[in-house]
Amino acid sequence: MNILLPPGRRLERIGIALLIVVAVIFPKAYGGQDYLISQARLVMIYGLAAVTLNLLVGFGGQISLGHAGLLAIGAYTVPVLGNNYNWPTWALILAAGVTTALVGLVLGLPTGRLRGHYLAITTLGFGLAVPELALSTRVAPLTNGSEGLIVPTPTIGSFTFDSAGHPEAFYYLCLVVVLLCLLAILSLLGSSSGRRFMAVRDSEDAAAAMGINTWLTKVVLFTTSAFFTGIAGALLAFQDGVIAPTTFPFGLSLLFLAIVIMGGMASVWGSIAGALILIVVQVEASNQPGLSDAIIGAVVVLILLLAPDGLAGLARRLWRLAAGLGIPWSAGVGPRLRRQPAAEPPEAGERPPVEVRHGR
Amino acid sequence: MVDFGQYIIHGLAFGAIYALVALGFNLIFKTTGVVNFAAGAMGTAVTMILWSTLDRSVPLAAAWLIAMAAALLIGVLTEAIFMQRVERSPVLIQIVVTLGLLLVIEGAVNRIWGAEPKLIPSLASSKALAIGSWYTSANDIFIMALTLSLAGVLYLALERTRYGLAMRAVAQDREVAALMGIRSFRYVTASWAVGVLVAGVGAVLFVPLYGGGLVPTMMDNVAVFAFAAAVLGGFGSLAGAVVGGFLIGIFSNLVGGYLSTDLEVSLIFLLIVLVLYVRPQGLFGVDAKTRL
Repeated sequence: MNILLPPGRRLERIGIALLIVVAVIFPKAYGGQDYLISQARLVMIYGLAAVTLNLLVGFGGQISLGHAGLLAIGAYTVPVLGNNYNWPTWALILAAGVTTALVGLVLGLPTGRLRGHYLAITTLGFGLAVPELALSTRVAPLTNGSEGLIVPTPTIGSFTFDSAGHPEAFYYLCLVVVLLCLLAILSLLGSSSGRRFMAVRDSEDAAAAMGINTWLTKVVLFTTSAFFTGIAGALLAFQDGVIAPTTFPFGLSLLFLAIVIMGGMASVWGSIAGALILIVVQVEASNQPGLSDAIIGAVVVLILLLAPDGLAGLARRLWRLAAGLGIPWSAGVGPRLRRQPAAEPPEAGERPPVEVRHGR
Repeated sequence: MVDFGQYIIHGLAFGAIYALVALGFNLIFKTTGVVNFAAGAMGTAVTMILWSTLDRSVPLAAAWLIAMAAALLIGVLTEAIFMQRVERSPVLIQIVVTLGLLLVIEGAVNRIWGAEPKLIPSLASSKALAIGSWYTSANDIFIMALTLSLAGVLYLALERTRYGLAMRAVAQDREVAALMGIRSFRYVTASWAVGVLVAGVGAVLFVPLYGGGLVPTMMDNVAVFAFAAAVLGGFGSLAGAVVGGFLIGIFSNLVGGYLSTDLEVSLIFLLIVLVLYVRPQGLFGVDAKTRL
């Protein structure tokens, strides 16, 4: 459990442990309300997808505006393999990760050389191209065009996790897979690979001077992120039951980005919390055209202008305040530098040492 | 079988629109280093404002003036309220702020004007006009002429006037420009105003051209093609925007004509990746870091 729960800040550990406990007992408390449980599954799946995007954006400093495209690759892998080859569920989930990782590798080879706006526009193009290709008549034999594909029901042995008959069982399947992925991501971030990602993020030139192969690091980052995105895509495929090109619009990529911003860059648990909040917003505003877009956009802009480090930064400030007031449990045990994967992002408004006023 | 030349001629009019929107990107990028991902939505908002004024039976010329004034205002307000606050932030933050604005504007347009398609009259006749064995229309020619003359005016203003010189100085180094007595923030605001204006003109001209009616998401694809044009031509280059715009217009029309319209975005994406792989700064761009 020590990887899931960051050591040092006891209040934060309690918060995360509480979140996991709530997630575990949630279906028991809301038994019978299948709609709520389905939304809770969506929070976990989108949360995982947002964490994989945060790997790129928050920990790697690489922007991606086409994350829904990667999710689509993972999601399509499940029915394409499942309907034709009758693979077991765990193999399908793993295959979705591997396929998406391969696509991420191919995408990362050329884009590993790009920075900033060029990277943004290339990934934007990728995100739009994937659903377009899935819709295209030339790929239709594989993806069945606009009608999409029916996804097989997940099974383990003789037990079927059909979301109508056993919504809770499928919920726990999602929970286990998502927690395993988070565990893997958190331990990766604590390892030397994770440090390399952050070194490249903070300064590509400095990282190169330290002997880090920045291009290779970025390719590894893209591939790793894509692997876990593919797993999220597989879960989404099982969740929806039907996968079509319209499941992966550009707006979905923007939603993931909004979740990352809301939760705070380079904060794994922040992204999960961000997913929870923004999916509630989306569900509540879904009957008013345009409203959820406007709210999510406004939230993104306001957070970036007023509190650029998102929920995680807000929480960090609260901890510090609590510690300052001498509230018990809030102060950290042990040195804070000991294994602290969620390094604080660079200050957004960082100013150069020499300042010339220009009339503002 | 439609003629090869006909595809190219038809692509030119669409290319002119992409060129206009790409010009808007590049003007803003040149002075501020920000790519305005909300440009498409801003253009749609301008077009909706034009539709509303025309709906109140305001004469066409006056309605155009009001809409263009609105475009300038959108540009100025965007810079003053939002972009000014993130001008020293990492590129990533600036990109995400404009994406947030994209969502806000598209959502607001959807709420205010609704999703049912609306029509905007074209400025010139769109009746088919025969040139040799090929067909075009007065409206297509008008759009191309307007794009080229707008690009020409912008080029002359940037390269041949005091203001243009000042703007280039601001683009090169805002603080040194400020030390030379240039009120750099005014030029930044001005480039946002003009950048949104040009994108707005593109959006207004696009409605009668593609004929699908004005809806909140109308400019999404146009903006993507214009991004492609800007990348192809090189960010920050006015000539690059125009050439890139026309090339993308022709390319997508050829793809649509000979292969399939459902592959346009994918092949343009492939084209961008290939171009960036060989020439990361685009066809006309100088080193990506200097943006001059």
